[in-house]
Amino acid sequence: MSHLGDRLSALVDGELDGAERDRAHAHLASCEQCRTEAAELRILKQKLSTLMTGAPAEAAMTKRLIAMTGPGGPMPSRRGATRVSRRPGTRGLRGARSAGRRRYLMLGTVSLVVGLGAAAFSAGGGGEAAPGPRITPPVEMYSVEHAITTGQVPFAPPAVSPAASSPVASASAASLP
Amino acid sequence: MFSPSSFVSRRHGEGRSPLLLTAALVMALPGFLATACSSQLGTGTAPREATATAGGPAASAAAEQAPATGRRTSSTRALHLLSQAAQAAISMSYQGQEVVTRWSDGSGSVLVSDIWHVSGGQTVTQTTAAGSSLSSQPFLSSDDDSQAPEGVLGVTVPLIGLLETHYTVVYAGTGSADSRTAQVVEARREDGSLAARFWLDDATKLPLEREVFDSTSHVISQDVFIRVRFSTQAQAAVPVGGPSDPPGPWADPLSHAQLLALHTQGWLVPAGLPGGLSLFTGARTTTTTGTVLDLGYSDGLSVVSVFEQRGHLAAKLDGWQRTIVGGQVIYVAEPDQRSLTWSSRGMVYTVMADAPVQTVNAVVGVLPHDTPPGFWQRMSRGFVRLASWVNPFG
Repeated sequence: MSHLGDRLSALVDGELDGAERDRAHAHLASCEQCRTEAAELRILKQKLSTLMTGAPAEAAMTKRLIAMTGPGGPMPSRRGATRVSRRPGTRGLRGARSAGRRRYLMLGTVSLVVGLGAAAFSAGGGGEAAPGPRITPPVEMYSVEHAITTGQVPFAPPAVSPAASSPVASASAASLP
Repeated sequence: MFSPSSFVSRRHGEGRSPLLLTAALVMALPGFLATACSSQLGTGTAPREATATAGGPAASAAAEQAPATGRRTSSTRALHLLSQAAQAAISMSYQGQEVVTRWSDGSGSVLVSDIWHVSGGQTVTQTTAAGSSLSSQPFLSSDDDSQAPEGVLGVTVPLIGLLETHYTVVYAGTGSADSRTAQVVEARREDGSLAARFWLDDATKLPLEREVFDSTSHVISQDVFIRVRFSTQAQAAVPVGGPSDPPGPWADPLSHAQLLALHTQGWLVPAGLPGGLSLFTGARTTTTTGTVLDLGYSDGLSVVSVFEQRGHLAAKLDGWQRTIVGGQVIYVAEPDQRSLTWSSRGMVYTVMADAPVQTVNAVVGVLPHDTPPGFWQRMSRGFVRLASWVNPFG
């Protein structure tokens, strides 16, 4: 027994005329294999039809979203917003893409300025880097000179001037009870 | 010495009405009676409050004391005694032990030093920590010309001159110190409060004890010279092989003209500091990191040394602790807490003080400090630094 073949898809699409369609239906009644294939073709056709009917709605929604994010971001200019809403075609989409690029450019510029400012503020701290030696005051030498000035006994704290390396008499101030 | 003469002229320039003198005598009478009945002057080491009149003066001393509220002129006898004391510290040969005790903010510290001095020669000091056996190496004075010997309780010719200028110096009779008979001299403020009291050895006039009081009549420092021996005995007892070479080739004291010249060369040389401190000496030395200038300020009792050196503080200061004085960030040396340092505008300032805390804080406050840069100044400096970092030719 020969099966329907290409006529099966024509049957599903409703392209067979009366005699052809009657013979195809008679064959389907007696052929399990062609009946199964016909059922699968119908299911496939229904899914494709569903996809085709849903796509235009999503495309329209995308266009509306792009139009809402027109030039100026949260505060779009009246002129740009009017043009996009009035002409939702190709020119409107191109303008929306350009506005997006400007927005990203602006965001990048702001980020660069803020980053440079923060870096400059951080680098500007710590005092002037003026020339000159870095000094640790020689306490023991100053103590001796101060003692001569005061007419007192010269001494220096041992934590700063170890007695072994110092010509100055080292002493410490002990706490009183 | 660069001290104002306004105090002297003001003291001598005021007249007194008979009524005022009578009232002053009536007020002073209880003081004279209390003086006559009080005991001998003590030499204890505990802090104590000063009294308006010294204890135990002889009757002849009482006759020289002016009323507590009306002192205007220094006693010639007192000034002569102090001058003799300053000369004795140079001309006498002596040895002994000096105990220096200081009180500040409720805490105290004590320092004990052995001292040997040869007449007309150098002074050797050997300091021990609070009288313990941990003796350090002796120190040989760099005072080759014997014009400023150490270890004489702050009684030197320049400081006596300042003392006379800033205080009223009076003779307060006799007392005792280190089991020796002593002449007592007091320094009083304009309001009559006691600022300092000196005990001078009756036989040699060498200073034996000194007490310094703050404006609230509390002792802030007490220096005692004990176990004193005179004449050739002192020379024989100098430790052999101990004295070290004098550190720091400090030049002789600078003259007034030289100090003014330093001012024109960019050094900060104020004529006076808070607390009535007058510039009275200055010296200069050269170190591996440059020239150091030492400026000495005093009122005769408190002494503040200001060291200046061009440069900046090292990033890491061993032995120094960061603190804030009068809103300014500075560093204080540990553990003596009497040395303060900071840098400002390319100059490092180090202050060493034997003065009340209030005076030290005021001194730190009037000297230059760096203020934090403003926003735009900091940004500008930061951009310059960033540019220098990325500049391949920089």
